[in-house]
Parts: sequence; structure tokens; C-alpha cells
Amino acid sequence: MSLLRRQWKRITILVAFVILTLLSLEVGSMADVSLSSFIHGDELSRFIFIHSRLPRTLAVILAAAGLSVAGLIMQSISRNKFMSPTTAGTTDAAALGLLISFVFLGHTSGYVQAVFSFVFALVGTLLFTAVINRLKIREVVYIPLLGLMYGGVIAAISTALSFQTETQTVLNQFNLGTFARLGNFELVYVVVIPLIISVAYATKFSIIGLGADFAKNLGLNYNRVVGLGLIIIALISASTFVAVGPLPFIGLIIPNMTTSIFGDNLKRSIIDLMLFGACFVLFCDIASRLMIFPFEMNISVTISVVGGVIFMIYLLRGMYGGKKTRSAAAKSRG
Amino acid sequence: MIEVKNISQSYSRQSDNETLSDINITVRENTITALVGANGAGKSTLLSVMTNLLPAKSGQVMLDGVDVRKIKTSEIAKKVAFLKQTHHLSIRITIKDLVEYGRFPHCGGRLKDADKEKVAEAITYMNLEDLVDKYLDEISGGQRQRAFIAMILAQDTPYIFLDEPLNNLDIKYSVEMMKIVGKLVSDLGKTVVVVLHDINFAAAYAGHIIAMKDGKVYKEGAPLDVITPEVLDPVFDHNFHITKHDGRPICLYYDHSMKHIHNHGDHVHMHEHPHEDSDVPHAHQKEVRSEIN
Repeated sequence: MSLLRRQWKRITILVAFVILTLLSLEVGSMADVSLSSFIHGDELSRFIFIHSRLPRTLAVILAAAGLSVAGLIMQSISRNKFMSPTTAGTTDAAALGLLISFVFLGHTSGYVQAVFSFVFALVGTLLFTAVINRLKIREVVYIPLLGLMYGGVIAAISTALSFQTETQTVLNQFNLGTFARLGNFELVYVVVIPLIISVAYATKFSIIGLGADFAKNLGLNYNRVVGLGLIIIALISASTFVAVGPLPFIGLIIPNMTTSIFGDNLKRSIIDLMLFGACFVLFCDIASRLMIFPFEMNISVTISVVGGVIFMIYLLRGMYGGKKTRSAAAKSRG
Repeated sequence: MIEVKNISQSYSRQSDNETLSDINITVRENTITALVGANGAGKSTLLSVMTNLLPAKSGQVMLDGVDVRKIKTSEIAKKVAFLKQTHHLSIRITIKDLVEYGRFPHCGGRLKDADKEKVAEAITYMNLEDLVDKYLDEISGGQRQRAFIAMILAQDTPYIFLDEPLNNLDIKYSVEMMKIVGKLVSDLGKTVVVVLHDINFAAAYAGHIIAMKDGKVYKEGAPLDVITPEVLDPVFDHNFHITKHDGRPICLYYDHSMKHIHNHGDHVHMHEHPHEDSDVPHAHQKEVRSEIN
């Protein structure tokens, strides 16, 4: 029974994913370039497909899948449903790293920028996790709020640095998430590596989510798995940030929505999670391309509007209505 | 065999760990050993040290003759299972998922047929067949506790350590849980060490009781030797009155009505001596006997 329902949910997501992917390939500022003209072997269509539409769609899918997985791993490690690269300062730290690489090295290759971003994202996240562990805050909703403030502080450092070095325009550009920038697209393919690792480690990340003692009881090397998780998070955050800029809230709302449908056993739900994330961002991307056609809105804006509303709902539920979080918090206090 | 030798644990940075000093115990095989004591006596810390969740600072814990600090965590996990109270369950997994995690030390997450068999066995043993696809947050506290025990069973270790398994359980489920723990020992030959808050559960179900005070073992022995006012009064810093039921000691510790309980206790006592009572029960007994004959 429940197995059948599961299969149906999975099929629905898969169908939605295929339709949205095709739609994403179909939509573009050159209206007469379409899937059918590509199949018929039109020279221009082929060029546009290979150099614009296909990379863009792939980037959307990979960035979305990557950030969803990064978010879920972060929530598992911190055992807090409100954690994500956006609410733990990871994204802001990646931005600072990118800015620093630009200030000191000028225009370098995307890979160098990604390395800077990665190191900063990793250190930034480690710092936040260490501080949070020391504070021992019981109320789960305060942690992401603290994280947002922490991110704000890092962003302020970036802003100050950009003022000093007169690179405000560059910083502004970094902080706009967009799939219309073709420059560093290939960096998003780096995401494939951490994604494969997280599929292989899926069970371990789920077990970590049940607590350190629980994991140790099962003979898991807790610190090593947490360390690996943080590296995966930083790698995904940094490479997507350099490639397409920030995609706020994806790492937060997608895992929450997916686990409420598919549960937390990562081994079974990690593919669903990736597909669901991809569907969401594909949808937002198509919407932002069609809204003011033939121009396009910034994807950060679309995602922020949709994702912000969903985030608020989850946050308010966690604070007031959320039965589960509430009773769990009450129990841990008592 | 688990032996604790000269364990001392000074105050650590993690605030919830108490100190331990100079603890020497040998865990009795195939018995329920109950750790009792006031809050902060070091029961949970001792359990953590014995399972190497908290590595011993001085002294040794020997598991089958080898220092646990020298054994790989994944190997310890095949011999010792430790269930701590899981208060915070924000994760949505099904009972089956949980029980399958119990096989992790043996298969590393990739379940073979033998592992699946063990999982099915554990689920059947704990009467959870109807609930396997339910999420942990959809079931009652008693069912959840049973699911965790099923996971421990799937882990298939000779030693089982339980830290306050009766927390958050009402009386019915507490008794059910202790009966299950008893069966683990009598049917499956496990060795169980359990921290119990309610001293009467220890008195009723444990074969061996270790009373702790201020990080030291104050007294250990059979229930009848430990459940005495001489031991319990200093351990809990409280006045105890001990009575007996079916040869098992029972503690009465309700201060305000101590006098009343005293009287009641005497009354019960009288019933235990038939010659002081009326003849009716004897007559009745004879009747029954003749019917049987």
C-alpha cells in the first residue's frame, strides 16, 4: 500500500521533471529555435542548443540538486530542519572568498575562484557549527536566525572590502543568482562529484541525523562523517555560487518539503530529493524567463519570492503551530 | 566479559558528564544489572565509559580481555549495543529503516539476505509487524521504545546497555519494557546493564544492583542486599522504608504518610501468617484440594 503510494509520488516527480526539462530547453529569447527545429538539424538551432540552452538547463538541474542535497546533509548533521547553506553563513562566506580572489588576483579562471570560495565556505561553516555546538541552544528556530545574522556579518565584511577596493559592482554581480551568465558554467559540473559521494554515504548521513551517541553505538566514525558532510556542503555551495550565484532558500525548503513526502531515509529518498529540487528551480527559471519575455527576470528574485514565503510558513510552524518541533524541543528541555 | 578496572573520570568540559572515581566492577553475564543512584551520581557517565562512547581517562574497561580503547568502534558495535534516550527526533524514518540501521555494524548499510532475516526476526520478536512502515513520529512512546529495542536486537550484540529506558513511559509501558528486557536475558541469553530511575523496577527485575553515590560504587549485590535502608538512605539522601512482596523487596519512600504505610504494612504482614487468621482460608483450601483429587 504505502509502497505503491511511494512509487506513484516518485513517478509524478519524474514526469514533472521530464516535462520541465523539455520546457526549459524549449524556452529562450530566440522564439523560432525549438526542440523540433533542433531535431530537424537546423544549423543555428544546433548552435544555440549546444552552447546556450543545454548548458543552462543542465546548470539549473545540477545546481538545484546539489543545493538540495547540501541542505539535507546540513540538516542531518546539525539535527535541525532549519539549517541550510543560506542560514549558516556558507553562501555569504563563499561570496567573500570569491570577492577576495577577485581583489587580489583580478580576473582569474573559474576554478581558482571556486577554490577560494570553497575554502571560505568550509571555514565559515565550520566556525558557525563550532560556535553553535558550544552555545547549546535548545530552541531549534533560533539557530537559523543566528545563522542569518552571522551571514549578515560576513556579507558586511564583503561590502566593506568592496568599498575599500572599489569593487562594489563586481560584488553586486556576484550576489545576483542567474543562469544567464555563461562565464563559469562548466564549474557547476563539479557538483556531480559531491553528489555521487553523498549517494554512496546516504545511510551514514541518515544515521548521523539520529545523534552522535546513536551513530557511535552503530560503530560509525562520527567526526569523519561530519567532516565529509561539511566538505560536501562547502564544495557544492562554492561551485554553484561561482557558476550561477546564490540561489537562496533552495537548501532549506526543498529538503523540508521532500522529507515530509518521502521521509528522512536518505538512501531511499536522495534521488527524489534531487529531482524535486531540480523541478522547483526549473519551474522558477522558466517562470522568470517568461514573465517579461523576451527579457528575463533574475532567478534569485523569483526564488526569493517563492522560497521566502515557504520559509516563513515553515518558520512560523516551527515557532507556533509545529507540533513535532515543539514537542521535541519540550522533551529535550525536560 | 566486561570488566571495569580502576576507572576514574574527572570533570570534563561537556557539562553533562559527572565525575567517577575508582570504579571496579565486573558485569555479570546473562543477568540484568541495574545502576541506581541519585541524579549526578555518575550512572550515565559510567555507562558511557563502559561502552567507550566516552573514553576512560584513567583505568581500563576490558571487553573480552581487551582494552576497549584499543578496539575499533565498528568492532565494539558488534559486541556492545548502547541505547541512550533519544529525546530529539526531528528525523522522519520508518520503524523498518530504524531496525535496518541496527545491521549497520555488520553490513555497512548494504543489507544482505542474512541481514534482512535478522531485521525481520527482530521486528517479529518485538511485535512490530503491523507498524513497520509507520514513521517514528506517528507512533506512541511505548511503540517507539520497542522499535529502538528491535534495532538493538538486529544489532545482535551479546551486551546491551540501556540508559533510562523507562523515561517518558507510563506504568503499563514501563512494565512491558522491563518484561521485554527480562526476556532478552532469559530467552536470548543477553547481558543487560540498565540505568533505572525507579528503584522499585530495579528491585523487581534486576538480578544484580549497583548503587552509586558521588561517582563511586556505594554497594553492589543481589536486590535483597542492596535494597535496604542502610544502603539506600545514604545513596539517595532520603528515608526509606522497605517491605517485601513475593520475596522481592519494595521501597516505600513517601515521607508524609510513613506512619500510615507502617500500619498498613503490619496489616499485610498478618495475612502472611495463616495461623493468626481465621480458619476460613484453610477450609477453603481443603475444599479445593478435595476437588482436585
